Amino acid sequence: MAIENINGCIGCGICVQTCPTDVIRLDPKTKKAIIKYPADCQICHLCRMYCPVDAISITPEKSIPVIVSWG
Amino acid sequence: MTNVNTKNEMSRRKFMGLAGGAIGMATLASMGIPGWAANKIKIDPESLEYLEKETDVLVIGGGMAGLFAAVKAHDAGAKALMVSKGRLGSSGQTPFAKGIFAYDPSTAAMTLDEFTATVSRSALGSNNSVYTKQMAEHSLARVNELKDWGFFDSALYNKSFSKPINERNIPLLERIVITNLIKENGKIAGAAGFSLDEEKVYIFKAKSVILCTGAGGFKPNGFPICDLTHDGTIMAYNIGAKVTGKEWNDGHPGQATNAAACYDGWHGMFERKPSVNGIEVHHDLGVDLNYMAYTNGNPVQMGPPGAGESNPISGGPYIPAEFNRMSSDKPKDGPEDGKKPPRGERPEKGGKPGEGDAPPGMGGTSVGGSSAGMSIHKSEGLVPINDKCESTIPGLYAAGDALGSYMAGAIYTQIGSSLAGSAVQGAIAGEAAAVYSESANTPVISKAKIKALQEEMLAPLHREAGYSPAWVTQTLQGIMIPNFVLYVKKESMLKAALAYVEELRDHHAPMLRAADLHELRLVHETKNMIATAEMKLKASILRKESRCSHYRLDYPELDNENWQAWINIFKDEEGNMQFEKQAFNSWPNENLFHQI
Amino acid sequence: MGVIMEKRIRRYNIIVASIVFIGLPILFWALGDFPRRSSLKEILSVLTLVAFSLMLGQFFLARSNKKVLTGHKMSTIIKYHKYIGYIFVSVLLLHPFLLVLPRYFESGVEPTDAFITIITTTNSIGVVLGIIAYCLLLILGLTSIFRNQLKMSYKTWRVFHGILSIVFIAIATIHVIDLGRHTNTAMISYFVTLSGIGIFLLLRTYILKSSGGTK
Ligand SMILES: Cc1cc2nc3c(=O)[nH]c(=O)nc-3n(C[C@H](O)[C@H](O)[C@H](O)COP(=O)(O)OP(=O)(O)OC[C@H]3O[C@@H](n4cnc5c(N)ncnc54)[C@H](O)[C@@H]3O)c2cc1C
Ligand code: SF4
Ligand code: SF4
Repeated sequence: MAIENINGCIGCGICVQTCPTDVIRLDPKTKKAIIKYPADCQICHLCRMYCPVDAISITPEKSIPVIVSWG
Repeated sequence: MTNVNTKNEMSRRKFMGLAGGAIGMATLASMGIPGWAANKIKIDPESLEYLEKETDVLVIGGGMAGLFAAVKAHDAGAKALMVSKGRLGSSGQTPFAKGIFAYDPSTAAMTLDEFTATVSRSALGSNNSVYTKQMAEHSLARVNELKDWGFFDSALYNKSFSKPINERNIPLLERIVITNLIKENGKIAGAAGFSLDEEKVYIFKAKSVILCTGAGGFKPNGFPICDLTHDGTIMAYNIGAKVTGKEWNDGHPGQATNAAACYDGWHGMFERKPSVNGIEVHHDLGVDLNYMAYTNGNPVQMGPPGAGESNPISGGPYIPAEFNRMSSDKPKDGPEDGKKPPRGERPEKGGKPGEGDAPPGMGGTSVGGSSAGMSIHKSEGLVPINDKCESTIPGLYAAGDALGSYMAGAIYTQIGSSLAGSAVQGAIAGEAAAVYSESANTPVISKAKIKALQEEMLAPLHREAGYSPAWVTQTLQGIMIPNFVLYVKKESMLKAALAYVEELRDHHAPMLRAADLHELRLVHETKNMIATAEMKLKASILRKESRCSHYRLDYPELDNENWQAWINIFKDEEGNMQFEKQAFNSWPNENLFHQI
Repeated sequence: MGVIMEKRIRRYNIIVASIVFIGLPILFWALGDFPRRSSLKEILSVLTLVAFSLMLGQFFLARSNKKVLTGHKMSTIIKYHKYIGYIFVSVLLLHPFLLVLPRYFESGVEPTDAFITIITTTNSIGVVLGIIAYCLLLILGLTSIFRNQLKMSYKTWRVFHGILSIVFIAIATIHVIDLGRHTNTAMISYFVTLSGIGIFLLLRTYILKSSGGTK
């Protein structure tokens, strides 16, 4: 399901800023990154590359149906 | 013909008879996402704070074009402010582009004019040679500045982009979605938007505005452009600007398995540091592959368009012989400096297939539509009235992918010129906007106007029930993305799809709901995509020929008699979508266009 | 107790200790539902996990654990305690750098930038506690190496070392629970249990001592 897991987050918020499609937010209580809008993940890996502790793991599957030009 | 809209009006029933279940079936794909429902609002729309900012030059967008626009506007003495929906250097298409073109007069094998002529030949005349030449002429200077900022030292661009912005103390506001441009007394007066994080509405008062909002698409699967929905173009269109280039298509394929996984599809190219390349002019990434899939059936084994297919198909998009790499024995690949990129990485212009090794889908089966909704870079966007990136609205500029400069023409020509072009145009627009704002007054925006804007912007948060933007987006994708609608075009199908899109425009767009600020962003993006779809279909119906990346099954030939022209789109007084032709290589004020 | 018997107990103790302090964390790491990354990253993770559990193990390789350790020569125990201490304190002191080291080989954010981001994220309790624990560990390490230069009686030093260890392990455990990439319930229970017992053992010797209960 696209962005899948966040382990070892220190809550710096960089991934929140970095994600072009606004998938990640900081949980107001735990102050840790959460995958808030997984359906909008475009699987670009920017968040993972920018995370200082490499906490984010991403799989290639999209969580909603994928529409392409032919199938 | 004055209005495609009325002429092509078609009833839903007629459509169903016509198109059979084909599009209807595709539309079913969106059934996975709930559509109409009550709006479970998570924020109090009444509690949104309201903020005003004032500046000389407002730069909207934080990609390559925005960077140079802000820097050069500042250096030309203006007060610049940058606002972006995403993070500087980490939003739009810029983060994923790894090859940048530089024309180095000391080493180049051709003169600037020869280069421009070569591009024009490949583009079948569809390029604006003033912008082609300008891009090449200034490219090296921009590349050298980027070098100084450390651009070529990292695969991630935020740090190098931040350097010149921070050094100049240019205010930067990130994660603010601009939804409206503001016009007062016929001139640009600013823009309005909302913050994704802070429950704040922003009104920017600016003497001039530079749209660096990039291009866009239908949130397609396989191309990292899901944050771009042609916002700049549609906002400008809504206040009366002329826009262009909607009939062209970026025919980018993706991989069949996990088609949505951009990163995987590009084989790790996103992790590469950028590099510079020299002259290499192609005729790439039209809709050849789409035509191949259409006539041959599936699956399509990936081969670069214009190169290396073992059993060539007759008919289909025309590639000028000089640029047909199917006939030339050895396609050049790799940047000109001779540095071959490591295996599995794209050289040059970033994976436009046919330009080197390992485009998406290589080695596997490919599917089309990965960049659906996007035209060729620089062919779509605001119509420039001169070589200074100025739009048809005084004080409003656009640069990069947001400007319909036709720098490369209606097909990909010079490798790496998209990134270079955004840099060059950003700088030119920045300087021009700074000069303009010297003699402009700080605009006054009436309270009533601000109130109305705010209400319009936040309306989806107030709806008690409505359509979910995700559902409408998927429905739109189902209508637009099929090969036989978007890429291999014919009148009957374009009109059929248009009937659907008009339904979304009239009935769904006004009833989109948003529960929070993220969804509010999706609502505005969805509206912009619907408008883009309408433009694409209508412009495609109009262009009764095939050229570059626009392919009509019912008009497969080049029509040089009638179509050495670009199609401009604008809103008339009554709010209807209007079209006009503008002769290739002319400016709008030269009166070489006529209404169609 | 016969010599052979003692030997057997000693071997038995070593095996049990290895299982508890090295085997278990690796087991929890292996069984846990964590995303697998490159082998370099996983090796560094396991090394850090084991270093931390061996740090907990230090509480059991000390006088406070005398009962279990009968049969071992205390001087040998202290030797082990020292070596394990020096090696794995170094690992833990390096761990903030090891964390960003793999970035050097890939194209994500640069290691130095990543490191700066980490230590400046002071709104995170985990990071702040980590920095405090780091300083305490540094003091623990340095005061052990330069014990002879310190003008402290051995007894005072021992109390100083013990109390510092307790404070360190308490803070470090919270840091690990808050930020650890591999801290699932099993790992948390494991760390909490061991640090709890360790602290308890040490405190008991102090309490017994101060109430004059030492034999
Ligand atoms: C995968 C990939 C590979 C590519 N490879 C190459 C290559 O190798 N060489 C090359 O020359 N070109 C390449 N390109 C094309 C190139 O990336 C673009 O042409 C170029 O980066 C466009 O820059 P820009 O600044 O004009 O727009 P963008 O980089 O798209 O920036 C748009 C900016 O506008 C902001 N924005 C958009 N809407 C709003 C709004 N409503 N409110 C506020 N802000 C908004 C966005 O957040 C973003 O910051 C590639 C593109 C892709 C996707
Ligand atoms: S970038 Fe990494 S550490 Fe920072 S908030 Fe995101 S996941 Fe957490
Ligand atoms: S992979 Fe890209 S789209 Fe998905 S969460 Fe990360 S940054 Fe956002």
